[in-house]
Amino acid sequence: MPLRFDGPTVRFEGLCMVEEALGLVEHWRETPPGTVDLSTCTHVHTALLQVLAAAAPAEVIPPSDPTLARFVAPILASRRPLP
Amino acid sequence: MSNALLARFIPEARDLLQSSASGLLRLEKSPADATAINEVFRAVHTLKGSSGLFDAVALTRLVHAAEDLLGEVRSAQRELDSDLVDMLLDSLDQVSAWIDHLERHERLPDDADRVCKAAVGRLRDRLAPAEAPASSDPPAEEKPAAEIGWIADMAEADRLALFSDAARGHPVLAVHYVPAETCFYNGEDPFGLVLQVPGLGALDVVTREPWPPLEELDPYRCNLAFRLLASGARVEVEHLFRYVSDEVRIDQVAPDALIRLAGAPAPGPLPVVEDFAEEARACLERRDWAALRTATAALLALTNPELSTASALRWLDAVSAAPFPNAAHAAALIEAVATGEPPRLGSADVEPPRPVLATLRPRPGTVPADARDAASGDVEALARRIVAAQRCVLAEAQALDRVRAHVGAVATVLARLLPGRADDGLCARIAAAARVAETDGDAGPLLDLLGTLDDATDGGTAAATTVAPGTASVVPAPGADASAGEAARDERGAARMLKVDQAKVDLLMNLIGELVVSKNSLPFLARRAEHIHGSREMAREIKDQYAVIDRLAQEMQGAIMQVRMLPVSEVFDRFPRLVRDLARKLEKRIDLVVEGEDTAADKTIIEALGDPLLHVVRNAIDHGIEPPAERRAAGKPEQATIVLKASQEADHVAIEVRDDGRGIDPAKVRAAAVAKGVVDAGAAEALSDQEAIRLIFRPGFSTAAKVSDLSGRGVGLDVVLTTVEKLGGRVAVTSRSGEGTTVRIAMPLSMAVTRVMVVEVGGEPYGIPMDIIAETVRVPRERIKTIKQAPAFVLRDTVVPLLRLARTLGCGTAAADVAAEAVLVCRIGGAPIGLVVDNFREGMDVILKPFDGVLAGMRGFSGTALLGDGHVLLVLDLKELL
Repeated sequence: MPLRFDGPTVRFEGLCMVEEALGLVEHWRETPPGTVDLSTCTHVHTALLQVLAAAAPAEVIPPSDPTLARFVAPILASRRPLP
Repeated sequence: MSNALLARFIPEARDLLQSSASGLLRLEKSPADATAINEVFRAVHTLKGSSGLFDAVALTRLVHAAEDLLGEVRSAQRELDSDLVDMLLDSLDQVSAWIDHLERHERLPDDADRVCKAAVGRLRDRLAPAEAPASSDPPAEEKPAAEIGWIADMAEADRLALFSDAARGHPVLAVHYVPAETCFYNGEDPFGLVLQVPGLGALDVVTREPWPPLEELDPYRCNLAFRLLASGARVEVEHLFRYVSDEVRIDQVAPDALIRLAGAPAPGPLPVVEDFAEEARACLERRDWAALRTATAALLALTNPELSTASALRWLDAVSAAPFPNAAHAAALIEAVATGEPPRLGSADVEPPRPVLATLRPRPGTVPADARDAASGDVEALARRIVAAQRCVLAEAQALDRVRAHVGAVATVLARLLPGRADDGLCARIAAAARVAETDGDAGPLLDLLGTLDDATDGGTAAATTVAPGTASVVPAPGADASAGEAARDERGAARMLKVDQAKVDLLMNLIGELVVSKNSLPFLARRAEHIHGSREMAREIKDQYAVIDRLAQEMQGAIMQVRMLPVSEVFDRFPRLVRDLARKLEKRIDLVVEGEDTAADKTIIEALGDPLLHVVRNAIDHGIEPPAERRAAGKPEQATIVLKASQEADHVAIEVRDDGRGIDPAKVRAAAVAKGVVDAGAAEALSDQEAIRLIFRPGFSTAAKVSDLSGRGVGLDVVLTTVEKLGGRVAVTSRSGEGTTVRIAMPLSMAVTRVMVVEVGGEPYGIPMDIIAETVRVPRERIKTIKQAPAFVLRDTVVPLLRLARTLGCGTAAADVAAEAVLVCRIGGAPIGLVVDNFREGMDVILKPFDGVLAGMRGFSGTALLGDGHVLLVLDLKELL
């Protein structure tokens, strides 16, 4: 299970694929989003990133992979509309 | 063929190949023929498009290369010479061969890739030889910065890194990728794809719609759009996005487009900036980039990194650090540092008009973006609309107090648009008003002037466009409407055409043939009703019905004949190419004139005509037409003419091949015929000149020995005669020495129904084809003379040999002693012969069925026909019989 739910904290591990997205949304519908730990994940599917961007959790621990961390950031910040 | 799509593609491809080949030949003659080049281009383009549906990559690539070449010809970048036509025709031949292979094996031959590579290479060599051979890709167009406004949204550090890459020769690509909302269901991971972009240097992500609260979020609907900058090769990026190519837009951007200042403007004039600017200008003057960098670094250390001045300094550093620094960029940045204004990097420096357009967006239709005006050719209306659009932009900008940002673009548009449309004074006033707007930020005077311009050109329509948006777009342009109607008509026209397998038409024709025959039994039935059953009434009614069915059957027969009729252009079409190729090979100059190609005849006839005509035309080129030098010596134009003419005459179609070559010398033909043993010397002498010329059709008369210094192909013209006569046609040749030769082939229009005359021999009916019968006569016995043991009689001063058909057929004659013999005078090979028969009967139309099975080898009969009363009529083939 790549996603570990621990109360308000969600830990992403390894390859996090599209199937997890609905579970994540449902989890956050019940428990308001707290900390998201991406440090040990190696890839996050776009659908999951969308949920992260929409939920805007209080704290996101970025992935340890610097490239992934660099390009995940703009998605989490994607609150501007498409011009 | 199992693949129905392929089965449809193949005939279509052949049609397209044929029309492009004939178009090319027309183009070669008149290179300025725009219709021809368009036709060829369209055909090749269509072929390329439809071939892409099949696993025939080599074919598509070859056609594509040809299309590119033709495209250049069409846009007048290249002249079409004979070599180029040769090359294109060769390519089309290759494609044609592949189509044949596709038809048989449903795939291309194994060597297709290699052949394609060689052929494409040859074509590409011709394509733009000036281009550097290494770069096969068209030089990517660099986008002006203003068009890709979102570049400014990228982090400055990313842009600086990309700029440094660009300065070292890595092109910068701007990719705008908006994945489909449903892309997750297709197994796509847009972010995963983006991460794979080679040289990904900057990423910005925006949303299609604002994020909804989590309760309403559909995690499986993609709401993201990606904008990224990369320094990878364009082909690689295109390859990466090949499956979503319609969702991405890839542009190559000029490096200076990356130079955008970030940060807040300086609150006041910074100290030391003036000193720096002076020093920096001096460094720039000396092109002392190292010193400039040192000075820049020094000031940067003193400047708040959040200010735009710092940003300008960072860019200045990046520009001067480039291997080949751009002095203009550096100068602009130095001024930007000095004044605190954005750098002026040349024409692309106008602040992108994006914000105003964004504010306009909520009201679509304010500026109806409707190109139909241009399509209908109404340039004036379009100009008015553009002026109106400029007024909209200015008015919006005025309202938002952003006039300075947009007045430059407006002024540029007006400056390009107005000359020639407004008087010079007005142009000057507008330019002055634009300057005022630029300096004061007040667009009022310019707006007023534009208003007067609108009124002057058109009494207020433009104003209406501005005030009541959308009205203009509601009125459909008449041109567009008309063309739509035309398209609809075309569509209906296309739907009326039906491609039918020939076998089905043949079946229909056979059935109608049977109907004609069974209809013929009704008169017999009527006779039986009268004579055997004694009912005249019934007989008359049957005859009435017969008349109706007879008429319908004849109409049906006529209709089906029409279906089978083909224009002779089917056979003529191959000749322009043949004549051109042979003429080039033999270094003769020949102009082929085709006349009457619309003349139609039955499909069988048309198809059978191909080979005989080929021989005749080849002979004309090989032996008839002289080389240019000889023609000049003979006082003829160097360009020889071959006329291929078809016409319909009564019930047959006549095809004439006329050349203006050296003609046939009867003396030489006689000599050659005697030498070959075709005729003996005495007979040859007795022949008239025209008859002597006909000797060329005799079997054994080799073309090689004919009046030509060129070797023949070993194909005797006798083949022509045999083929044509087998189909019931005739060949005539006339020639005048030194003036040319005319070969005339006459063919029946249709072969389905044969008209025969029924004669009685030994109590049995026989049919004799009507076309060889000259007349019927009754010859009194005493007029029959015996000449050299052969009976003959004199008919209008001509001796006609007599032949007893009963003896030839080996049956007894019924009437041995009558006062006068019934003689059927026939013409066989031009000579008359009298056939003695027992009795003449009626002529009739029959459907001739050739013998098959064990009877197929029977000589002397061309076949059988079924009569109305159920009897079988044997139809004689007199040429074989005698």
